[in-house]
Amino acid sequence: MTLYEDNKELYDSIPAEKFKRVERDEAIHDAKFQTKPICFLKDVWLRFTKNKASVCAAIVILIIAVLAIFGPGMNRFKYDEQYPDRVNMPPKIPAIANLNLGIFDGGYVLKNRQYDSISDTTKYPNDCIINVTNPQVVNGVRMVDVEVDYYKYLGISDDECYWFGSDYLGRDIWTRLWRGARMSLIIAVVSVACNVVIGLLYGSIAGYYGGTVDMILMRITEILNAFPRIVIVTLFVMVAGTGMFSIIMALIIKDWVPTARMIRSQFYRFKGSEYVLAARTLGVRDMALIFRHILPNSMGPIITSSMIAVPTAIFAESFLAYIGLGLQAPETSIGVMLSQGQKVLLHYPTQVVFPAIVISLLMISFNLFGNGLRDAFDPTLRGAE
Amino acid sequence: MVRYIINRLIALLITLFIIISIAFCVVRLMPGSVYEMGGDLSQTVIDALNAKYHFNEPIIKQYGYYLENIFFHWDWGNSAKIRPNVPVFEILRDRIPITLEINLISLFGAIPIGMVAGILAAIKKNTIVDHIISFMVVVFISIPSFIFATCLQYFFGFKTGSFPIIYDVSATGTARYASMVLPILALAFDPIARVARYLRAELAETMNSEFMLLAKTKGLTYAQSTVRHGLRNSMVPLANIIIPMFANVLGGSLVVETIFSIPGMGGLMVDSINSSDHMLTVAILVFYSLISLITILIVDLSYGIIDPRVRMGGKK
Repeated sequence: MTLYEDNKELYDSIPAEKFKRVERDEAIHDAKFQTKPICFLKDVWLRFTKNKASVCAAIVILIIAVLAIFGPGMNRFKYDEQYPDRVNMPPKIPAIANLNLGIFDGGYVLKNRQYDSISDTTKYPNDCIINVTNPQVVNGVRMVDVEVDYYKYLGISDDECYWFGSDYLGRDIWTRLWRGARMSLIIAVVSVACNVVIGLLYGSIAGYYGGTVDMILMRITEILNAFPRIVIVTLFVMVAGTGMFSIIMALIIKDWVPTARMIRSQFYRFKGSEYVLAARTLGVRDMALIFRHILPNSMGPIITSSMIAVPTAIFAESFLAYIGLGLQAPETSIGVMLSQGQKVLLHYPTQVVFPAIVISLLMISFNLFGNGLRDAFDPTLRGAE
Repeated sequence: MVRYIINRLIALLITLFIIISIAFCVVRLMPGSVYEMGGDLSQTVIDALNAKYHFNEPIIKQYGYYLENIFFHWDWGNSAKIRPNVPVFEILRDRIPITLEINLISLFGAIPIGMVAGILAAIKKNTIVDHIISFMVVVFISIPSFIFATCLQYFFGFKTGSFPIIYDVSATGTARYASMVLPILALAFDPIARVARYLRAELAETMNSEFMLLAKTKGLTYAQSTVRHGLRNSMVPLANIIIPMFANVLGGSLVVETIFSIPGMGGLMVDSINSSDHMLTVAILVFYSLISLITILIVDLSYGIIDPRVRMGGKK
C-alpha cells in the first residue's frame, strides 16, 4: 500500500498544472551566504559594545589615560616646582569661577574676622570677598566668617591659577595628579604585563607537559602562595628601596601565580581535544602546539583576568604609599598624593578629593571593563561572578 | 583526617620558619645600625648597646641568638625606637586585641547585611533592585577601604560631628564604641559587597536547579521553597569565602588604622617601618604571616567539615 493508493481520489483531484517537474540535469546547491562571516574578535566586539556600562568604563579609562599623558603639560607648572609663598592654594579655574557655581572659584573661608574691617581694602584688596556668613558677637565685637577669593586676596593674577589647587609646598596639584596617575598606571600595567608573560610561560609548560613537571612546578607555586602578599611586598620594597622599579618587582614576585594556574587549567581543558591530536599526528612540534594551537583558545580568560588585575596593582601601589614605602619625593603617584592629602584632610580637603576621585574612577572602570570583557569573551558566564 | 591536619601543621611551621628567616635577614642586612640613626647617643653607649644585642657579630651568629631567644625564652627582642627597651612581644600583646576587635566586628557585621543584599538581588533578579545592588557591589568592591575611611572621617567625623574624628584611646563604654564606628564601617564595605555578590550568584543558580522544581511541585510556596531549600544550599559554600576575607580585611585595616590613629597593629607596622625599629618589624611581619597561614589552614580543613563529600588528604 502506498501513499498514492491510499489517497488516490484526493491526489487525482489536483489539477495537473499545479505540479512541477524536478529537472534532473539542473545542479542543486545551497543559497550563497548573503552576510559576511563574523570572526571571533568581531563577535566579541559586537557583544562588548552592547554592554553600555563597560563601554562607558572603557571611555573613562581612555580619558584618564589621555590626561595622564598630556595633563602635566597642559599648564605652566612643573610637577616638582615649589612656590613657598603659595602653599595650600584652593582650586580655581577662571572660566568656571565666572559662572558663580561656588566651585573652582578659589574660595577660602577665613574664620572669625572682625565685621568692621571687611570694608577695609588694605585687609581685603581687589574686592576679593565672595561671601560673608555666620555673624556672631564675641566679647562685644561683631565677628563673621569671610569667604574670599584667595587668589585676589594674595594679589595673584588670573592666568597663574592652580586649577586643582596647590599642596603644602606650593606644587600644582593638577600637574602632580596626572603625573601621579601616569606613574600609577605605568606601575600597574607593567607589573600586570610581566605577570601575564611569566604566568603564561609557566602555566603552559606545567599544563602542556603534565605529570612530574606539572607536579614540581605546582609545588613551587604552592610554596610561593603560602607567603602572605602584604609581607612579601613590604619586605621586598624595604630591601630594594622605594623606586618605581622595585615596586613593580614587588608586585611581580607572587602575583603571577593565579595567571599561571588559570592557564594551566586551560591547557588541561584543551590538550585532550581532537584538533590537538590531529595537529600532533601531523607532526606539529610542541612549541607550535602550545603557542599556535592551544594558547589562542585561552586568550579570553587571559585578557579578562589581566584587566581585573590592574586595579589590584593600583591598590597595592597606593597601599605602599600609605605605609611609607611609596615613590620618593619629588616623584609622585596617586597613592603618594592620597597619603599626603590625608595629613591635611580637615583643613584642605581638596587635596584628597581629586586623587580620590581619579583612583575610584580608575578602579570602578577597570572592574566594569573587565566584567564586560569576560561576558563578551564567554557569554555562558554572563551574570555569574 | 588527624594525619592530614598534622601534615598541614608541620608545613605551616616550616613556612613560618622560612618567613622568620627571610624577614630577619632582610631587615638586618639593611644599611645602618639600629643605634646609629638616633644621633644623640655617644659612641661608647652605642658600642655597649651593640655588644649587648650582639649587633657587632656576624649575621649568622645574630640569627642563631635570635632563634635561641625565641625558642627557649619566648623573647622576640626589644623595641629600639617606638617604645625603647620594651619587649616586642609585650608591645604586640597590647596592640593585637584592638585590631582583632575592629576587624572581627566589621567582618561579622558585614555578613548579615551582605546576605540580605545578595538574597534580595537574587530573588528580584533582572529588576531595578537587582541592578542597583549589583552596581553598589561593583562600587564597594572597587573603591579601596582607605578612600571610604577618608570620606567617612571628613563627612561624619568633621562636617556633621556625629562620630569622633579619630579613635579615642581613653574613652570607655559606649564612647569607645562610638569612636570605633567609622573605621569599622570603612572596613565593612568590601566584605558586604563580596558576600552579596557571591550569594546572588550562588542563590540564582540554586533557584534554577531541579530540586527547587521538585519542592515547588510538591506544593511548597515560593517563600518556603526559597528559604528551606534554596537558601540552605547556597549557604554551604559561603563559609569558604568568609574566612579568607579575614586576611583581606586585615590588609585594609593596616591603612585604615593609621587614618583613624587606632593604636593597633596597622599603625604599629607603619611606624616601625618608618622609624626602622627592626625587631618590631620582624615580629609584626611574622604576626601577619601567622594570621594568613592559619586562615588558609582553616579554609582547607573546613571544606571537609562543611561539605563531607570533600575528602581530606585522600589519594584520589
